[in-house]
Amino acid sequence: MFFPEMTTKTALKITKQKMTEYHLEFLERMNAIEVDAHWFRRAFHTFAASFLFYYLLPDETWVTNVKIILPILIVAGMFVIEYHRLRGDVEHKRFFGLRSYEKKRPASYLYFGVAVMLLFLFFPQQIAIPCILCASFTDPIIGETRYFFGKKYAYPLGFVISYLFFLVTWYRADGWVLIIVTTLGASGAVIGEARKCTYVDDDFMIQILPAVLLLILCQGLLLMQIDILPPPLIHPLSQ
Amino acid sequence: MEKRNIKIKENIRKLLLRLELWFAPLLIIVPLAISLFFVQDWYIRGFSTSSSEFNGELLIGLLILFGNVLVDIPFLRSIRLLRKKE
Repeated sequence: MFFPEMTTKTALKITKQKMTEYHLEFLERMNAIEVDAHWFRRAFHTFAASFLFYYLLPDETWVTNVKIILPILIVAGMFVIEYHRLRGDVEHKRFFGLRSYEKKRPASYLYFGVAVMLLFLFFPQQIAIPCILCASFTDPIIGETRYFFGKKYAYPLGFVISYLFFLVTWYRADGWVLIIVTTLGASGAVIGEARKCTYVDDDFMIQILPAVLLLILCQGLLLMQIDILPPPLIHPLSQ
Repeated sequence: MEKRNIKIKENIRKLLLRLELWFAPLLIIVPLAISLFFVQDWYIRGFSTSSSEFNGELLIGLLILFGNVLVDIPFLRSIRLLRKKE
């Protein structure tokens, strides 16, 4: 008499609606905490340099298998998470540090992961190491310099830093090789970072563009019986 | 007073729920540990045997160490500022 008549279906619908509202409000309040996403993203970038530990892992058969399977599994996991986020199954707000333009497209961590996986599986470490270092350090350095001093200084500085990474990795190569490789690699890294593409993130391009350019160079020269690859920089632990 | 306590409790609850803050120790400790491992590897296999073959490990170790320390300082500062605000 005092309460309006309500079917179970309607009650469930209202409860669900209320819960969704509460859930959204709760997420909004959580995001109101001003954690500096900017430095969180930078720290994630530099953290990625730790992946170079991969090259210290021994060359035993079972470890080699793990070295192939594990990166694939990790990236597959990232794909699943991103698939659910983009479908809306997982709330976008749950992902701290995502940029607004990543709301409707795969997030940059997925691109970063795919690039690292491709480098580990298909490129020699002499090419992969400086490319990973560029994504880990050159990218944040360019970002910070661009913010404080503008593009005019950011990209030349990024070029110098990338140049140093290629120099460090290839320091045992011949002089002429060193000049070509460092220039090509650093240019590739800076172009990969500077050219903004809607569907491919710069975290992917900064790694893959110099790697592909150097691989083409190495393979081209190899066809002419010239092997330019220096000895590996990192030696697996069992050796 | 009680209102303030409730607010503090609510903030702590929210902070505990923010997964990214739990990532912070990982983001800081792992690179430092790995860089030290690289340096140690250079010391054991390279320096103590007077071999320059393992200088690459030293270079990579130092790069990871300094690169991460430079970013970790402002990162930790931002977390500390957050705690103060809360």
